Amino acid sequence: MDLPKEAPDYAKAFLEALKEAGVSIVAALPESLLGSVYRLLRQQNEIRYVQVTNEAELPGICVGAYLGGKKAVMIMENSGLRQGLEPIARFAYSHHLPVTMIMAFRGEWGERNWWGHNHAQTMEPILNALRIPYRFVREIAEIKPAIKRALLHADGSQWPVALAMTGNCVEVPAYAKD
Amino acid sequence: MQRIDLIKAIAPLVTSEDLCISSIGGLWDDWWNHRPPGDNTFFPGILGSITTTALGLALALPHRRIVAFETDGSVLMNTGAMCTLGCERPPNLTVLVIDNGIYENIGGPPTHTSRNTDLAKMAEGGGCINVATVRDVSAGLAAFKRMLEDREMGYIVAKIEPGKHPWAWKDRKPTDGVEDKYRFMRHVEKLEGIVIHPGAPQN
Repeated sequence: MDLPKEAPDYAKAFLEALKEAGVSIVAALPESLLGSVYRLLRQQNEIRYVQVTNEAELPGICVGAYLGGKKAVMIMENSGLRQGLEPIARFAYSHHLPVTMIMAFRGEWGERNWWGHNHAQTMEPILNALRIPYRFVREIAEIKPAIKRALLHADGSQWPVALAMTGNCVEVPAYAKD
Repeated sequence: MQRIDLIKAIAPLVTSEDLCISSIGGLWDDWWNHRPPGDNTFFPGILGSITTTALGLALALPHRRIVAFETDGSVLMNTGAMCTLGCERPPNLTVLVIDNGIYENIGGPPTHTSRNTDLAKMAEGGGCINVATVRDVSAGLAAFKRMLEDREMGYIVAKIEPGKHPWAWKDRKPTDGVEDKYRFMRHVEKLEGIVIHPGAPQN
């Protein structure tokens, strides 16, 4: 996969990780923290990229792809967890169906936007309440094993899993640069 | 037009090699009793996630015909999915919306389609192609046959009268959501010659 040279390292690693893990369908609602990832996904054809209007569309697309024998992930900001939660919970509790979600962790330590804090404050309590396993991914070297294992964990458990991307694995907001 | 009459009419067009996603309500038992042999249908108990699940399935298996049996209540719960469908336009997907204008299973309060909302116009506005509204069985059968066979996405809104077929308890869909998943998954595995979820230990 030839990736544009100007893409940040984390984004290139992200796409390489998806490909190496065998992901063929990505459904996403773009946001800013993983902005380069969505851009790279739009610019390539190896992975089918489906952009949605609302995070509640994402679980169904991924479950449908899974039941068709394909590896799929959904990508969104952690704010989208609340929008997508109803179908995620129902697919999990009513059907024992896996969904692999990858979220940008808005509200990291140093968040200056007042509207971003609620996303961080509610994400972990919600995931814990629903017994959805999750891991934070902070370093670029962690991206490939994290995505690969997330897919394995979801399939093995027949249950949703989540990755929260932060640290060096997201775009760095200008105010957060040291 | 009653739902059961439309289902009876279109059922012979769907084979065990087609894959279906069905919404909830009286539709479940109607389709359960008229579906082709085998387990070609997954029944998510999730309003708003029927079209999206069918879309994911259609993208995963572009060589196979996929049918989404939707309902007005389900479509209204996730209207953005119409726009995503209208952008992707999977040629192997046919959506049939059973629109009775009410939330029948909870006693019959009206949905917005019984007032001013037109799902077909919404689908067209969202970019869907081959959109049709049908009001009798013969028109429904003709539209369904055409859209199932034309290798383009299709979106049918079937306006039906309220009313549930009185299925005897023994004839009602007896499976739960987890059983539905495994039966459908194993059906797809056989059809496609693949392993989706291996139950055996992996080394």
